[in-house]
Amino acid sequence: MTTNNTVEVSDYLRDQLIFLHTSFKSTDELFGAVSDVAKENGFVTDQFLPKITKREATFPTGLQLEHRGVAIPHTDADTIKKEFVAVVVNDQPVNFKRMDDPSQEVGAKLAFVLGLNKPHAQLEMLQALMSIIQDDALVEKLENVDSVSTVHELLSNKN
Amino acid sequence: MTKKVNVLVACGAGIATSTVVMSKVEQLFKDNNIDVNLMQIKIAEAASKQEDADMLISTTVLPTTYSIPTIKAMGYLTGIGVDKLNKEVIDTAKKIQDEAN
Repeated sequence: MTTNNTVEVSDYLRDQLIFLHTSFKSTDELFGAVSDVAKENGFVTDQFLPKITKREATFPTGLQLEHRGVAIPHTDADTIKKEFVAVVVNDQPVNFKRMDDPSQEVGAKLAFVLGLNKPHAQLEMLQALMSIIQDDALVEKLENVDSVSTVHELLSNKN
Repeated sequence: MTKKVNVLVACGAGIATSTVVMSKVEQLFKDNNIDVNLMQIKIAEAASKQEDADMLISTTVLPTTYSIPTIKAMGYLTGIGVDKLNKEVIDTAKKIQDEAN
């Protein structure tokens, strides 16, 4: 496999779209806040919020890891004007339905909202993201992160 | 001749998780010398595409039942149970090849 380590998740971070110490009570609140800032800064269309809400309801993105939950909400490419990976670190876990079993929920303090518009083209970044998610110590660090610069640091040079 | 296995790889949007799974199973089939055609789709397209396919690998909940074997591949995202998942994918593909002979 050709793995291009020059592509990092941190390349997709936008400082406006890093949300730390938030207190969202639901996915609706979380998506609303991300959508507001993303729209204001020209990252998404008006359709982003309704589409990501609907998609999460039908095909949820909560991942149950060994010790914790993480969510990777995303939606159709045509709602994304400029690509991004938004990072949301909530003080308390937000309940997401599980990707593998929507009848169950998983609490996630950490959510990566993926704004991607080139289907199939971000393999390296997505692989880097998945290896981050699978690194329990790193996810724990992210759950307790205090600054935007630390988020950049933790999400770069991984592998 | 050994059959080329037609594999659908699906997720909800056909963008993110299926991209990761595509690369994982592509390598897996290669390592096991199984000849495949991989097609990345949205799960909503699976019902209409199953006619031309032999198996479906999905990262998302299956909204309906299919006439072809289906495998849930969340493990490639979480890293949990990957060995078992790899075996299920390979065994399913081999069985399809055996039945075609």
